[in-house]
Amino acid sequence: MNTAILQQAQLTWPRGLGRRVLPGCLTLVAMVLILIVCGMIQPRIWSQNGLTLIMSPIVALAIASMAQMVMMSIGDIDLGIGFFVGMVTTIVATLLRDTPVLGVLALAGAVLAYALLGALVQLRAVPSLIATLGASFVWLGLGLFVLPVPGGMAPDWLFAYAFWKPPLSIPAPLVTMVAATALTWFVTRRTGLGVRFRSLGSNPVALTRSGSSLVVTRMLAYAMVGVLGVLAGITLTAEIGGGDVNAVPGYTLTTVAAVILGGGMFTGGRAVAWGTLAGAITLGLLTVLLTLLSLSSNLQPAVQGFIVIAVLAGRLVVERMSR
Amino acid sequence: MPRVRARQRARTLSLQNGAIPAVLTHATTLRDLHTADREPLVQVRDAVKTYGPTKALSGVTLDVHSGEVFGVVGHNGAGKSTLMRVLSGLDAIDSGSVQINGVTRPFGNGFPGVRMAYQEGSLALELTVCENIYLSSHSWIPDRRWHGPAARRAARRLDEIFPGHGISPADYVDDLPLADRQMVEISRATIADDLSLLILDEPTESLSGSAVDHLYDYVRRLRAKGHAIILVSHRLREILSVCDRVAVMKDGAVVSTHAAGSVTEQDLFLAMGGEVVSDKEGVGARPTATDTARPVSVKVPMATVEGAATQIVARKGEVIGLAGIAGQGQQRVLDRLWCRNPDVEVSQALAYVPGDRQRSGILPIWDVARNLTITTLPKLGKNGIRDADKEASLVAEWVDRLKISGGANAAITGLSGGNQQKVIVARAFASDADTILLDDPFRGVDVHTKAELYQLIKSEARKGRTIVWYSSENSEMQHCDRAYVLRADRIAGELHGPQITDERIISLSFAEAREARA
Repeated sequence: MNTAILQQAQLTWPRGLGRRVLPGCLTLVAMVLILIVCGMIQPRIWSQNGLTLIMSPIVALAIASMAQMVMMSIGDIDLGIGFFVGMVTTIVATLLRDTPVLGVLALAGAVLAYALLGALVQLRAVPSLIATLGASFVWLGLGLFVLPVPGGMAPDWLFAYAFWKPPLSIPAPLVTMVAATALTWFVTRRTGLGVRFRSLGSNPVALTRSGSSLVVTRMLAYAMVGVLGVLAGITLTAEIGGGDVNAVPGYTLTTVAAVILGGGMFTGGRAVAWGTLAGAITLGLLTVLLTLLSLSSNLQPAVQGFIVIAVLAGRLVVERMSR
Repeated sequence: MPRVRARQRARTLSLQNGAIPAVLTHATTLRDLHTADREPLVQVRDAVKTYGPTKALSGVTLDVHSGEVFGVVGHNGAGKSTLMRVLSGLDAIDSGSVQINGVTRPFGNGFPGVRMAYQEGSLALELTVCENIYLSSHSWIPDRRWHGPAARRAARRLDEIFPGHGISPADYVDDLPLADRQMVEISRATIADDLSLLILDEPTESLSGSAVDHLYDYVRRLRAKGHAIILVSHRLREILSVCDRVAVMKDGAVVSTHAAGSVTEQDLFLAMGGEVVSDKEGVGARPTATDTARPVSVKVPMATVEGAATQIVARKGEVIGLAGIAGQGQQRVLDRLWCRNPDVEVSQALAYVPGDRQRSGILPIWDVARNLTITTLPKLGKNGIRDADKEASLVAEWVDRLKISGGANAAITGLSGGNQQKVIVARAFASDADTILLDDPFRGVDVHTKAELYQLIKSEARKGRTIVWYSSENSEMQHCDRAYVLRADRIAGELHGPQITDERIISLSFAEAREARA
């Protein structure tokens, strides 16, 4: 009887799954469409070099979006991720190059700081928006302290990575992005820790009743956001070759947009790593598309904003109709 | 004698292994052995628990033995929920002692071996069934590669309790109907390898008939295996059919414990403080002639427990009560009125007094005056410009009338709960609404303030306003002209003036049982 039940479970589509993967699938379709349009305008994009060229500025965005996705899966929003990634680039381009031990310690300290931020949010009931917004100024200050003006230089191994060409003409940025996404997906969807993260976002009472500590869970989630933020900062340093705390302040909102495009929710509980990857690439490719269409890339934020609002509104309509 | 003990222990052991010896298949024999020989699994002595000024438990003493189903009944505020929270280890008691399985202090995760199926709120909706099971029962599921074992355990237990349930472990809880969620919740609670006490809190409230039967079959099987089960329910018939003993709670204490076989539903609600009323008096009493003279201001179509169509009618100048066990549809009646559902008839201007003042009542960073005038602000000003003098005089009038301590300019959060509630009530009555909806507004308010507010309600009704008042406290309802007792979204009875007593409300609250007997 058991096997029969399991077989039946595998045969039928679980209830509620469609609703959760559909947004990410639609975003994936949009991503492919944009790639095709870009390729039609400029066929040289369809080569290892071409894809590497248009994808490499997106790597850091994709990993930062993973960080934001983890944050939103526990029901919080990170308004400091842009400056955090910027601060990491300054550390990587100076400390990590000159005194690697000190650099690693500094980066570990940054992750620890994130975990403490999580404890603050949980214990003092500070809204995450406020806590991370406040922290963003700390990141900015620290980044300016390390590198008052853009400069420094990426460590040599990072340069080596930047010029790495994987076999089978796979673009290197794609490998990095997929690896980071797979890691995030595994932690948030396959491990018990991921279940606790999402339960914290969906129903903290259930988490408490299961005997888990809300503080520890939130701290671990924030630490994971910190780790992903550091990874994003390292890849960004490889991309720009040096450090600049003001490199990507726009990430803060773009990452939120990527998570929404991927099927995430502001209310928490959903972890959509692959959808978020599609969302981040779609948003990154928009810049390329606008450039190829000879439109000002300054339009990009407006286009992004429009897409996010349209997606949220569309999803609301669909959910209403399906209920 | 020692030899007998040893044999009994051997039997018990073999029972727990699932093999039931032929001589002991009769459940009663088995239970007698357990209760006679062992010390109780659960021992509560003089447990006292207070939340602020309210005494939720005022000295509870009870024993629950392994291998018995123990029922707990009582009306609103009798202390059932608090007692269950204490037994599951969520709350610590102030004095007295609780001993379960020989343990007197709960660990971080509650008492070992005690699991509770909650009425609501303990499943994470965005997670799948299987993930919820893992979250709650992770101690008994391997940490790595847990998906398969968790899904198998979930499916197996669901099949075991609710055959033909149609729930897949991969389903998201959010997308399951309420009844299915309750099945998952009950299964979740039972998945524990060290289970010795299972607490079921109103488990059948959202289950359908056959699922209820399946659940109670499973409860009997658990009992046969030597587990203890505590069943909290408003459904006396179910309690009597499945339990071995029933404890009746009232005012935070166990007033009596009965053997289920020797009592009737009537005995139980007498013990809860109810009185037996003939059906004729309760339902369908005609309004008196003086009432009919006044214009009707509120009309809500409803059904009686027998299924006949009826309606809640409130006339100008009347105070109408909505009574009964909490959560039986009283708030839905207020919602229908407040949202002006197409099927209700209600006068032009409405005002609403919420019960949960922290969440939906006060504007915390404003002072008393601003909090008081917010509803009526548009009427006081002219063309959208505020009229400070009129506002000030209105505020002064109400602050004086209700003796709100601190005066008009005090910060609202600096006031005591009772005074905050006065401001919220004054806000509604200061408006020109002719119908006022009260949503259990006096919970946790001190006696003195309550008395003042009851006076206010009565005097405002005399001025021609209509009051529709839901209260979970039966004694409050005696201030009403008429009270409707609700049961499962239906009207169980209508009480007039002096008829509105604690006893009558309690007995009508359990009307489902009476209906079945009739």
